[in-house]
Amino acid sequence: MLRIIQGGVQAVVEDWPGRLGYLGAGMAPAGAMDNVALELGNLLVGNEPGEAGIEIAVGMFSARFEADTVIAVTGADLKPTINGREIPMWESIKVKEGDKLKFGTYGEKGFRAYLTAAGGVDVPVYLGSKSTCLFGGYGGFEGRPLKTDDVIKFGELKEPEDKLVGRKVKADRIPEYSNEIELRLIPGMNAYPDFVTEEGMDYLFSARHKFSVNSNRSACRLDPLPDYFFAREDGGAGGSHPSNIIDHAYNMRGAINVTGNTPSLLTADGPTLGGFMCCGNVINADLWKIGQAAPDRDCAKFVLSTLEEAIEARKAQREWLSMDSILV
Amino acid sequence: MNEKQKAYSTILRSLPPTDARTEVLFRQAGDGFLQVEYGYEQRLYVPDSFRILAIDAQVKEKKIEGLIETVPGLRTNMFHFDSTVLDIDKLIDEIAECEEQLNSLEEMVIPSRLIKLPVAFEDTETKKAVEKYLQLIRADAPNCENGYNLEYIAQCNGVTVQEAKEKFMETEWFNSGCGFWPGGGFFWPLDPRCALVVPKYNPPRTWTPEGAVGLGGPCAFTYTTPTGGGYQLMGRTIPTFQFAMKHPQFADTPFLYRNADRIKFYEVSEKEVLDIYEHVHDKTDYQYDIEDGQIIVKDYIDWLNSDEIKAETDRFNAKRTAGLAKAPKL
Repeated sequence: MLRIIQGGVQAVVEDWPGRLGYLGAGMAPAGAMDNVALELGNLLVGNEPGEAGIEIAVGMFSARFEADTVIAVTGADLKPTINGREIPMWESIKVKEGDKLKFGTYGEKGFRAYLTAAGGVDVPVYLGSKSTCLFGGYGGFEGRPLKTDDVIKFGELKEPEDKLVGRKVKADRIPEYSNEIELRLIPGMNAYPDFVTEEGMDYLFSARHKFSVNSNRSACRLDPLPDYFFAREDGGAGGSHPSNIIDHAYNMRGAINVTGNTPSLLTADGPTLGGFMCCGNVINADLWKIGQAAPDRDCAKFVLSTLEEAIEARKAQREWLSMDSILV
Repeated sequence: MNEKQKAYSTILRSLPPTDARTEVLFRQAGDGFLQVEYGYEQRLYVPDSFRILAIDAQVKEKKIEGLIETVPGLRTNMFHFDSTVLDIDKLIDEIAECEEQLNSLEEMVIPSRLIKLPVAFEDTETKKAVEKYLQLIRADAPNCENGYNLEYIAQCNGVTVQEAKEKFMETEWFNSGCGFWPGGGFFWPLDPRCALVVPKYNPPRTWTPEGAVGLGGPCAFTYTTPTGGGYQLMGRTIPTFQFAMKHPQFADTPFLYRNADRIKFYEVSEKEVLDIYEHVHDKTDYQYDIEDGQIIVKDYIDWLNSDEIKAETDRFNAKRTAGLAKAPKL
């Protein structure tokens, strides 16, 4: 059990892959913004893949354990401490009843940390997932970020504590975070030649696209696109701006959705359908990197990819997120 | 096309037009998505949606392994699949097979409920959303004359504000499928003489109240919960979603709308709308006005293609084109 002292900027319960199968009801999958950090954390504490953890953006989160257990902190280095002493990340550690866990804030790289606990987070499964959809206000812990005096229960330990403590992620399997985030991108569904010019596509794949302050779990807004990006004069029956289209479902998560001249990466809680074109889709295996982008600091760099490469990358990620990456 | 242009291109395959349908385009949309689009032209032709919903049901009946879900829209359908299980070419083959087998829509009768919803035009809550937009997002937005969007909607369609409201209430709106936000439906005017068209916000809003009624392109939407959004605001209707599932209407599902529903709006005062909120969310005794019904596709298409309707539609389209030419760009 964990009693929240301070929820910080945003701490939410998230699992992976989130709530799949409800796009047609207008429900985004939600789920961890960085599934790699969450899943490595789950492996460290002996949880099943996809189990929920606590996603902590920015930091300033603090909480007290009300029972002994085994935890791991992964993801961005938000300077985690227990009882004022620094703790190692990317390894499983034992905590005792009364221990106080406290996070500082993010530094030059990365944006979200994950707290996983042996047995997982005990919240109701809603429509197949424990994930919080913040903008819909449902799932996870009462559909909202954690705040003071919330009590989070953990599930039962499946293995003895001694077997879980001291596991580490192998050094070469710890993800590296960057300020220039390379995202492999498949063009479509609205790209060359009918929606975007060749020069526009060149721009997309050559420019650095800064993450705006207007970024959250639904969408990360990027720098505006030049007018020559658009191949059409207007949006036809969809509206006057060439980014307008008759409403269609979005290729969500990972879509680059263009509203007016502003592109946004649609992420966990994003809209599932709307009246704007989508010029590309970040491959599934690279979605986690978006979760570590800090608004107003980091840039996206898009790299042209193919379906074949994306499928290989999915398989490679499955291997990465396995016990082969863990020193027991 | 050179190699680079090929790598940028998104249409994987297409089916030619037939007597019964326009061309079908299969567009790549990532490593988990395939969009099926009907026609190169962005057309607002509701029978396209009838066809999409029919094909959608047939493809789902096949229970294809690796297909996670579909999200139908007015002229597109999005297929979400696990690309490590289901090969995209196989998925396209399966959809194409259904396409080739469905020849005519003429015999179709679509079960379609009629839901009547009250709307208060230019109410206090949606006005706040416009105010917030002007303060926080775009101070010089030309679509916010007099602090609201109705003037702009009217201008874009070459009509008065009163005429815009009347057109909005005169037609029945067809729900081509749900999406955007939990429980949100996408509604298209069944009467082309009432097809108001407006550009969406540029850039979008960050907040819209529950129940807001908006127009974007030719489509109407009722916001189910507070959220961002890009539709021009008309006013506010009653709850169409209830997460807590307390009211009997929402006992089985938090959603009000189903695919192929028809919606009809009628004007009430803001007080009446607020009163109904209380009777839906707190007292849970509001009676929704919903009746079963159907669309006989042949009758609808004959009506749509009749000389009278065509002539009146053309007249309105001409007005709208003139209005849009004078309206400021967003």
